[in-house]
Amino acid sequence: MKGWWWKGLSVLLLLYVVFMGLHTPLGPALVHTSIDRIAPGPVTVEATGYNTHFAKESPQVWLENDGYRVCATAVTVNSDVAFSAQFQVPSGMQANLTSLWAWSSVDGPIVLRDAFFTEGLGQGMQGEGCAVGTAERTGFSFPNRTILNETIRNLFFHVPMWFTMMVLMTIAFWQSLMVLRTGNLDKDQMALSAVDVSLLFAVLGLATGSIWARATWGDWWTSDPKLNGAAVSVLIYAAYLILRGSVPDPHKRARLAAIYNIFAYVLMMVFLMVLPRLTDSLHPGNGGNPAFSQYDLDSSLRAVFYPAVLGWILLGVWAYTLHLRTARLNSIADEANDR
Amino acid sequence: MHTAEIAQLLRLEWQLDRRQKHVWGSMALYVVSTIYVCYHGVRHLTDVPIWNALFWIILLFAAFNALGRSFQREDAGRQLYLYTLASPRSVVLARTLYNALVMAVLSLLSLAAYALFIGGTPMEEARLDIFVPVVVVGGVGFALVLTLLSALAARAGNGIGLMAILGFPIVLPMLLSLMKASKLALDGLGWNVTGQYVLWLVLIDLITVGLAWLLFPYLWRD
Amino acid sequence: MKQMIVKGLMAVSAWAAWPVSIFAQSETPAWLQERMFASGKINTVVLVVSVVLVGIAVWMFALDRRIGKLEKRERK
Repeated sequence: MKGWWWKGLSVLLLLYVVFMGLHTPLGPALVHTSIDRIAPGPVTVEATGYNTHFAKESPQVWLENDGYRVCATAVTVNSDVAFSAQFQVPSGMQANLTSLWAWSSVDGPIVLRDAFFTEGLGQGMQGEGCAVGTAERTGFSFPNRTILNETIRNLFFHVPMWFTMMVLMTIAFWQSLMVLRTGNLDKDQMALSAVDVSLLFAVLGLATGSIWARATWGDWWTSDPKLNGAAVSVLIYAAYLILRGSVPDPHKRARLAAIYNIFAYVLMMVFLMVLPRLTDSLHPGNGGNPAFSQYDLDSSLRAVFYPAVLGWILLGVWAYTLHLRTARLNSIADEANDR
Repeated sequence: MHTAEIAQLLRLEWQLDRRQKHVWGSMALYVVSTIYVCYHGVRHLTDVPIWNALFWIILLFAAFNALGRSFQREDAGRQLYLYTLASPRSVVLARTLYNALVMAVLSLLSLAAYALFIGGTPMEEARLDIFVPVVVVGGVGFALVLTLLSALAARAGNGIGLMAILGFPIVLPMLLSLMKASKLALDGLGWNVTGQYVLWLVLIDLITVGLAWLLFPYLWRD
Repeated sequence: MKQMIVKGLMAVSAWAAWPVSIFAQSETPAWLQERMFASGKINTVVLVVSVVLVGIAVWMFALDRRIGKLEKRERK
């Protein structure tokens, strides 16, 4: 049977996404220090890493303040994920915040940015300070970012829901245009099926987003333009279903529903595109929020994210065709009953 | 598009409404009594965000009430008569324009009644040269969006209830930006901050009119 | 049939909204906090993936019932 390949492709892509998305380790990172302020003089810092290999190779550790590096005088490795380092902090550092770095040939350079509040500020230091290793780590891993940590994997299971929803809504929009042009009831059924399935993905997007938001932003629901946009589109398509329910005549129903769908879709698109630019957002890439935009999507993330988007969209379209085919069979049975 | 036809239809609307003075009375009474009820609930409001939000909620419901009737009042006979007389696009443009004028007046009236009862303290520091235009643009925007939906609900044979369900999600984005723009104007910020919101509202209004112009003939047909 | 889908969606959203309604006002209890934030928040990912799978499963059940009804009509 033709038309099979893309269904298989969606399954293969999603298999790849689930495997790579869950199996790929996060890159090594420093996540915690025992103290959060340093002053000139001797300082001992105990640091905790995540997915690091300190026991394999003792790391080189240094502080960095406004481009000036202060290397540790002694490093004691306690385990793969913990070390303690002693520093002789000079007086006269310039910046308020000091970062903690570590490097080994296994883990590459890792950093806890702005780890310490610095006391005893001065005019700044001459030069760059001590020399350190710079060789990057090899191997495939996802970046380990503050606050996000392991939840960065949700990128493959939450964000594509919105893409799928938008694709299905666009299909519904297109079919609604066709309804107005041709008055064909089958086009109306196509629009309805697309809306039904897009609502499934909208609900999944909201539910997964809510869970992710709790773990990263600390709230189940935040007043965020993207979230408001999603909620509005769910409301619009719920209203679409209610409008359909209140008109008994199928031809009139098809036409009225198509008009509402076109009207609502265009206004929603304008809203979704313009409003996030006007207000602050917690989402990456909006309102000066770093998360992803600062580094853009990492190449390792992209290698899984793009297949994920394609895979989920294909799955959504597949679900849409199943829904549509059942509905068509149903209307054929209806006609047979009438006769 | 026939300007003369639209002008004639506008005059017709005006004459019809002048004959039915109770329509205007009922709209004004709806707004004033809503505000009066709110007054008994909250007395004088000095908190700017709440004052602002309450005003827009009242105006939104007033718009739903006023425009819900827009296509309800005509019976099949008059519709058929209009149909033979003018092109559907002229009808919807005339009706939209007329509703926009009505809402512009109604929003100013609401603002006056609101300031009278709930208190005008938040408006003392405001840039009124921005706030009042925002209110008018908001009222007109409601009118533009809700006119087509009112026709849709009327064709579906369902009254204001259905229109509210269809209208809320579409008006909500507009309402959010209106609240934001008017809040900024109340805080005394100038055009350089509020301007982009007003621009974006005007853009929505234009798109809405365009869509209504495109879609209405399909709605009209039976 | 159409209502079936809507009902299914409502069931999913109610299911998804359940934790929201419980924890919306109060602070998340300690055990859940620990669970969700333990070992680099991996359990959040587990929860997200499960929600997606459950959502799709509910949809499949709804489709299954639609087809079942169709079969019944066909047999008549």
